[in-house]
Amino acid sequence: MSKIQNLELLVVGGGPAGLSAALAAANYGIKVSLTEEREFLGGQLIKQTHRFFGSEKEYAGTRGIDILKKLIDEVNKNNNIEVLLSSRVLGIYEDNIVTILNDHKMKKYYPQSIIFATGASEKFLAFENNDLPGIFGAGAVQTLMNVYGVMPATNVLMIGSGNIGLIVCYQLLQAGVKVAAIVEAAPKIGGYSVHASKLRRLGVPILTSHTIKKAIGKEKVEGAVICELDSNWNEVKGTEQLIKCDAICLSVGLTPLVDLLKQRKVKTTYVSELGGYVPLRDENMETSIKNLFVAGDVSGIEEATAAMIEGQIAGLSVAKRIGKNSKDEIEERIEEAKNELELLRSGPVGKKIRKGLSKLGLNHGKNYNEKFSEEALDISHLMKTGVPSEENLKNKLPSEEKVFDKGPIAISECFQRFPCDPCVKSCPFNAISENGNINNIPYVDFEKCTGCGICVSKCPGLAMFVIHKNFSETTSVVIMPYEFLPRPHKGEIVKVFDREGKYLCDGKVIRILDGKFQDKTAAVSIEIPKEYYLQARNFKVEEGNHG
Amino acid sequence: MRIQNHPILSFNRGKQIKFYYNGKELIGYEGETIAAALYANGIFKFSESKKLKRPRGIFCAIGHCSSCLMTVDGVPNVRTCITPLKDGMRVESENIGVEINE
Repeated sequence: MSKIQNLELLVVGGGPAGLSAALAAANYGIKVSLTEEREFLGGQLIKQTHRFFGSEKEYAGTRGIDILKKLIDEVNKNNNIEVLLSSRVLGIYEDNIVTILNDHKMKKYYPQSIIFATGASEKFLAFENNDLPGIFGAGAVQTLMNVYGVMPATNVLMIGSGNIGLIVCYQLLQAGVKVAAIVEAAPKIGGYSVHASKLRRLGVPILTSHTIKKAIGKEKVEGAVICELDSNWNEVKGTEQLIKCDAICLSVGLTPLVDLLKQRKVKTTYVSELGGYVPLRDENMETSIKNLFVAGDVSGIEEATAAMIEGQIAGLSVAKRIGKNSKDEIEERIEEAKNELELLRSGPVGKKIRKGLSKLGLNHGKNYNEKFSEEALDISHLMKTGVPSEENLKNKLPSEEKVFDKGPIAISECFQRFPCDPCVKSCPFNAISENGNINNIPYVDFEKCTGCGICVSKCPGLAMFVIHKNFSETTSVVIMPYEFLPRPHKGEIVKVFDREGKYLCDGKVIRILDGKFQDKTAAVSIEIPKEYYLQARNFKVEEGNHG
Repeated sequence: MRIQNHPILSFNRGKQIKFYYNGKELIGYEGETIAAALYANGIFKFSESKKLKRPRGIFCAIGHCSSCLMTVDGVPNVRTCITPLKDGMRVESENIGVEINE
């Protein structure tokens, strides 16, 4: 019989929460064993090619895959962390003995404390024929195309308009896959408006108050029947329509992977706002069983930035409990992390999480400010369609037309309150402000703005543009963000589109900023007829021009 | 089909290797999952459901849904979506031609 190995801290799961937890504890001298089922670290962060929202401190403005590289690099450099790859935790027993399977061999461990960062799995949806090949979870499509470079399909119908659904649609387009439509049962878009607006500009329809009735096909998906829903979520008769597609992607939420916790009889409870059964826990991420902690999606579905901070809190809490020194410093860092989490959750988009946490008896939000819990603007039209209303646009444009006479100026098309600040932090002239809280909507000070276009490449929502209205007597120039192939050439004529993806006019590429600083979000200056300077927000480069 | 050019990512594929799907020789890359290699070869039907013989393929691709199970080198119920492909691997569909006694 194999010997039982003693451990100080076992972290289960090598995603953003687990990596952050391991680092936080190891930095205070705790010996950490980090176990991961796959043959590489990263969890779902490995496929996140978009720039992250949130605060700069937690890498906002950096792509998920690049955040991961930094975390893995730190883990590999840390002598206190032992990484166990291809190692699946099979069981945890009443005496906290943990069994781990690696290379067909089972080993036993006895950790002093455990942090479970096991993540989540995708929810399924009931409809006719939903078991056909070609029906994927949104994460599966991301895995195939972003991890292995394999096309999942040629034309995808997305079900669900939360941030995952919206982000995956954008990534499908980047991989060269068509998106037939996004179907959303609720009367409004679930994710951030900037993600929806990006897709509308690219011509993707978003059908709110719609649902899927059935998938068509025998061996594989060949289409889908969708229909409209009334205000009571019932089908509106006679609204059935057939959508041609070769894949249907389900992005209808996630549910925490609490199996191991249940095996150890950690107390769990059903909280719909947090995605299903979640462990009871305190503010330091400790569960109902002493020395067993949780972090990330397993403790309630949120997003990667929150997962990383929760990981830090859990890791630091272990360090405080079993570490030998620096207790005061650790306590201070725990407080800092808690405040940061609170700030992330304090806006209107954090409402659901706050409600869920309050059901767990957690008093998050001692610094919570009523002011940030409601939207500042009426964005009902925007959240229904993905396209801002005239009033929304007017709110962000200069109040006087003559401001455009001074030269190029940045225009922010960000209308929703959510925690994000790369535009503010990237501006070298301090011309963009959120009035001291990252949940506020950013406004441009047109006096200070020089129209340099740095923010165009840094905004994770691709919602910054620079407008030079009086470029010439008859033309204006709009600087737009661009993250597609083929890249344009200077002097090339491109097709220019409005916020709904409708063709407006042809435009001429006069400048391209596409270097290391832009990090694959090029800022492209397009010269267009003057009449379109307030509408032109997207362009497409013709494939044929580039051989 | 494989993505050749991507605006954000570059794919560092491993060594090209041979593997077998129900006896048919296919090409994949070392280190990618069996499921990714099958999909890249245009194979979307991995197995059949036991009773109604409905086609089964990938759903979650992260090892949680059991939709992609296949027999690999004689071992049944392998999660092909998280199992790395190896040279000469024999990947077989499950439940095709299997009779279930009620």
